[in-house]
Amino acid sequence: MDKRIALHISILFISILAAQVLICNHILLFGVAMPLITVYFIARTPIGINRNILLTLAFLLGLAVDICSDTPGLNALACTLAAAMRRPVFFAYVQNDDRVKDIIPNIRTLGIADYCKYLLTLVAIYCLMIFSIEYFSFADIKEIAVLTSCSTILTFVLLLGLDSLVTVRRERH
Amino acid sequence: MRNLLNFLMKYSTWFVFTFYVLVSLILLFSFNSYQGSVYLTSANAVTGTINESMSEVTGYFNLRQINRELQQSNASLANEVLNLKNEIKHLRTLVDDSIPYSRFPKRFDFETASVINNSTRHPRNYFTINKGSADGIAPGMGIVDQNGVVGIVNVCGKHTSRVISVLTKDQHFSVKLKGTQFVGSLTWKEKDPGTAWVEEIPRHARYRIGDTIVTSGFSTTFPEGIPVGVVMSQVHGSDNNFFTLKIKLSSDFNNLTTVRVIKDNLKAELDSLSLFDRDGD
Repeated sequence: MDKRIALHISILFISILAAQVLICNHILLFGVAMPLITVYFIARTPIGINRNILLTLAFLLGLAVDICSDTPGLNALACTLAAAMRRPVFFAYVQNDDRVKDIIPNIRTLGIADYCKYLLTLVAIYCLMIFSIEYFSFADIKEIAVLTSCSTILTFVLLLGLDSLVTVRRERH
Repeated sequence: MRNLLNFLMKYSTWFVFTFYVLVSLILLFSFNSYQGSVYLTSANAVTGTINESMSEVTGYFNLRQINRELQQSNASLANEVLNLKNEIKHLRTLVDDSIPYSRFPKRFDFETASVINNSTRHPRNYFTINKGSADGIAPGMGIVDQNGVVGIVNVCGKHTSRVISVLTKDQHFSVKLKGTQFVGSLTWKEKDPGTAWVEEIPRHARYRIGDTIVTSGFSTTFPEGIPVGVVMSQVHGSDNNFFTLKIKLSSDFNNLTTVRVIKDNLKAELDSLSLFDRDGD
């Protein structure tokens, strides 16, 4: 792993952790939509990264969020599962060849359509995991569905906005 | 070793993934009371179902031993009931005066035995039990199973005994209609091991179909009141003063497994009295 990628991952890890714990954990829009931006770290790590490293980083990020939110195991489990599903989700929308192995998924590298599909799927999976684990009962399936749908939309819009900001800043530089 | 390392390297992602999932689950169930309680409830339900299924299967393995223990316990309880009945009967006859009361001696004992050979198809049927003279068994002792009378000890070896089955032509047992004093003679005539006949019931005896026939207690072989069968129908006897009842036997002679041998502790005393009577005549 070269230094540039290591730096990218480190900055992403710390900024996502801080944003989730300090800001997003305190937001609950209309009582049903919660921004769960931790999944952005999993979505934005390079595709070619060693899977064991990705699983470890995802688990550690989830654990860090859990420690700060007093929900031990909840985010760690959801992040680990989302990290395990990242590759199949990515290759469901993007053709598997040598060129894509070194890319970091974003609007520029994948194109707006593929990136949106990839990000939306990953966010939906992550939100579903979080609320399923939190409610932990089939009896609350309606609430889980509502919370998952609303939180997926909110998180997706937020992450897309964040992506646009980063892309615009990079283009200016 | 190299193959093992190659295997571990090849599937390392799965191992890492499983490890993190397990750690997360442990954290989730240990530190979140709601998820912990749901997990424990579900785990208990699953464990309960598995244990129930296991017990349904393994429960059959010990049935032989359980059956033996139940038979022993049953024999001991039957023994106690009979002795208590005798004691009550004796006490009822006592005159309430200054004569000191001595406890009525325990009359009957039961010995559990297994049937090791059985026949029901012949005109004279016998079965063999795994207890003999070494266990205190003697010819003339009555044999019952959990349902009722099944035979009388005929010949004793040291560790086995041959028993004359109720299903023996010309073998008579003294029986009566339960709750009455109308005595008759039980005999078996035909090849059906489920039915027998009670002869010499007095003509004035009142009975109904389904009434129980029990032992009369007029011998040292069987105590009074042990079930023999139930009345099926009446047939006319050869003598106008008596009638014959067709009865359904209580015991299933095709499935005799465990029986009890009845030992009468007063047998020697009663036999010596009958000898005295004979000598007196």
